[in-house]
Amino acid sequence: MDNRSLRRKSLSIPELIAQNWPRLLSGLGMTVEITIISLVFAAIIGLVFGLLSVAPQKALRAIALVYVDIVRGTPLLVQAFFIYFGIPMALGIRLDQNLAGVITLSLNAGAYLAEIFRGGIESINSGQMEAARSLGLTYGLSMRKVILPQAIRTMTPALINQCIITLKDTSLLSVIGVVELTQTGKLIIANNYESFKMWLIVGVMYFIVIMILSKISKQIERKMSYGKNKN
Amino acid sequence: MGKIKIKNLKKTFGELEVLKDINLEIKEKEVVCIIGPSGSGKSTLLRCINALEEATSGTVEVDGNDITGAHEKINLFRQNIGMVFQQFNLFPHMTVLDNICLAPTALKIKSKDEANAIAMGLLKRVGLQEKAEVYPGQLSGGQQQRVAIARALAMNPDVMLFDEPTSALDPEMVGEVLNVMKQLANEGMTMVVVTHEMGFAREVADRVIFIDEGYIVEQGPPQEIFANPQNQRTINFLNMVL
Repeated sequence: MDNRSLRRKSLSIPELIAQNWPRLLSGLGMTVEITIISLVFAAIIGLVFGLLSVAPQKALRAIALVYVDIVRGTPLLVQAFFIYFGIPMALGIRLDQNLAGVITLSLNAGAYLAEIFRGGIESINSGQMEAARSLGLTYGLSMRKVILPQAIRTMTPALINQCIITLKDTSLLSVIGVVELTQTGKLIIANNYESFKMWLIVGVMYFIVIMILSKISKQIERKMSYGKNKN
Repeated sequence: MGKIKIKNLKKTFGELEVLKDINLEIKEKEVVCIIGPSGSGKSTLLRCINALEEATSGTVEVDGNDITGAHEKINLFRQNIGMVFQQFNLFPHMTVLDNICLAPTALKIKSKDEANAIAMGLLKRVGLQEKAEVYPGQLSGGQQQRVAIARALAMNPDVMLFDEPTSALDPEMVGEVLNVMKQLANEGMTMVVVTHEMGFAREVADRVIFIDEGYIVEQGPPQEIFANPQNQRTINFLNMVL
């Protein structure tokens, strides 16, 4: 009797927020945590495969191409299912859903970052590499000191964009049971049936975090610009 | 004793034969200007001397070191061969000073302080010491090219290669770059210069080489080549550019 009347009573948005704030915050925390950890691994994967994809050796380029094609050619959801359900079943192991989520997002974002790195590196005039090599620098040193610092500057907008995409992609991990913000929203709605207001709240929370990220990125972009080359 | 020895050098890009059979010996302290129509292979020849282009066949030796078969040793050999490019190719994300210090410090040949001191000395030589902390994008083309020369000199090379160093410059800036190059020639640097500046070739070169269609067509002291060219193709070319 008491329960039913409680459910029927529609709560206002501020009330819903107040009531569910700790859970929402912990969901958001998980979203941010998974995003950051995945992006760190993705950055390493992306750099390695990005460098492979511009390597002078054909075999190395082929490896990068295959990886990028596989990731780009399959949906993230299928990748998550494959890593969380498929691989553990084949190997007879259990995989923690958060770990599976991080692996999925790292591999996924890694492929896209590899493409961003490739594009960034290829956008740098070949004269830069030639100038560095003509001074006696090795290929690796030329990359590190001359090409990558410039490439990363031109890549910044695309990198930030990929961060935002990865942050949003964490919501898909709700299907393998990762209790991030979207899953938290689902669980709360399962209790209070406030679908409209809760999804609005969850949406606004994503929006605010992403807006903050965009603003920071604009700042970084501005700071990183240097005297533009006249030629 | 030949500083640079090129034997039977051939270079093809796919079907295109750019260098057909180049034989050339350049002595220490000699200043050689390479002239010829565009597409004649003169830049490719220059780029084969420090293996920016890999020779298809034949050999290039600099100081007795085989450049063509050098593999990873090429990095060591290149330290001794400075190169200046048509488009300057300064590193836009570094200050002028850092551009010059990069190679000596990254290769751990000089400490940061030593490299800075050398760089400031070089900037003084090219008349740009007040630009040390400026980024390349804030310099004029002539200034950028002078910095590029200083950068190449920072490795203290024995040989300097110039690939049309003034072709991308506004006319009023050509002189300042050529003056630095003249000074370098007078100091006894071995220089190979691909150029369209016939005045410079006439005044500074010990030898002028005319290349056309992948062959050395004619060579000799500038006064002979310019005053009394023998080959018809040289005559035609000089008639067009002089």
